[in-house]
Amino acid sequence: MQVYQRSNLFHILLKATGIVILGSFVGIIYNSLSPQGITLKGSWSRKVTQDSLVVPYSYQKDDPPAVSLDYAMMKFQSAGTIFVDARYPEDYKSGHIKGAINFPYEEFEEYSSQVLPKLSLDKEIITYCDGSECETSLLLARELRDKGYKNIKIFFGGWSEWQKSGLPVEVRS
Amino acid sequence: MKILKFLITIVTDKRVVLIFRLILGVTFLYASLDKIAHPEQFAKIVYNYKILPAFLINIFAVTLPWVEFLAGLFLILGIFCESASLLISFLLVIFLIAISTNVLRGVNLNCGCFSTNPAGKKEGISLLFRDFIFLFMGLMIFFFNKGFSTLSSLYQRKSSRQ
Repeated sequence: MQVYQRSNLFHILLKATGIVILGSFVGIIYNSLSPQGITLKGSWSRKVTQDSLVVPYSYQKDDPPAVSLDYAMMKFQSAGTIFVDARYPEDYKSGHIKGAINFPYEEFEEYSSQVLPKLSLDKEIITYCDGSECETSLLLARELRDKGYKNIKIFFGGWSEWQKSGLPVEVRS
Repeated sequence: MKILKFLITIVTDKRVVLIFRLILGVTFLYASLDKIAHPEQFAKIVYNYKILPAFLINIFAVTLPWVEFLAGLFLILGIFCESASLLISFLLVIFLIAISTNVLRGVNLNCGCFSTNPAGKKEGISLLFRDFIFLFMGLMIFFFNKGFSTLSSLYQRKSSRQ
């Protein structure tokens, strides 16, 4: 085993710091020259809508409307609204909003032939995923809107908010 | 006991350590490429880890892949091997902390280790296991490489001969 002297170790740390500085420098230069470059100071703080709903940073004004837990609950009780769970099948199986259909955004193509016939173009659809920090409910809603579904809403509170409020859930199926 | 001794002799053998060096170097080099090509997606992954403050996310996403690239390259070539292996071990410890906090939080995250593609999701526990193996290799290189077949040692030998 190599035993390092203190002065030796100092030099090693110095060179390691050098690699970090050089790498950062090259990274910043490359980023400023690359067409894929991004701004160094991105806007990553969470957004809050006018109705004080917490939405992902990527949520835009023209996206399908975000709805609150109260709204989702009301629609759940009155029936006629389809809840679509955008999470992975294994998450869906371990628990989801009662009656929700699983439509994993990551496997959109594979699932669409099976799920799309269950949705009607005019009926209200509410998408959700884990909670306010996940994006798949938004991405799925955009995808469905582009496919011609008109009445889509997103429940960003998602599974975590629903579960916390002790509302009806279902395991598997 | 004998088996343990035998294993220790193997993993501290300079030729085995050389293999570790190449594996870890290639891994880091390869892992950096997709992130360098897709900074925006990588920044999103960094954001999803929910560890860094908002103003650091993009800077980190732009610089980290290049640090990985250089450290991997140096490890393969054998330039500043001790520093590169120490740096890589340090990064791996940071990744371990980042992944385990998210595993504890119960977040099903996209690792962003090798690919920025959202479909590259893996179980947190297997990620941690993989990380530990890499960390072990990193530390083995730091302590047992002893300048075996590195460009640095080649250069030193040449200059001492003159």
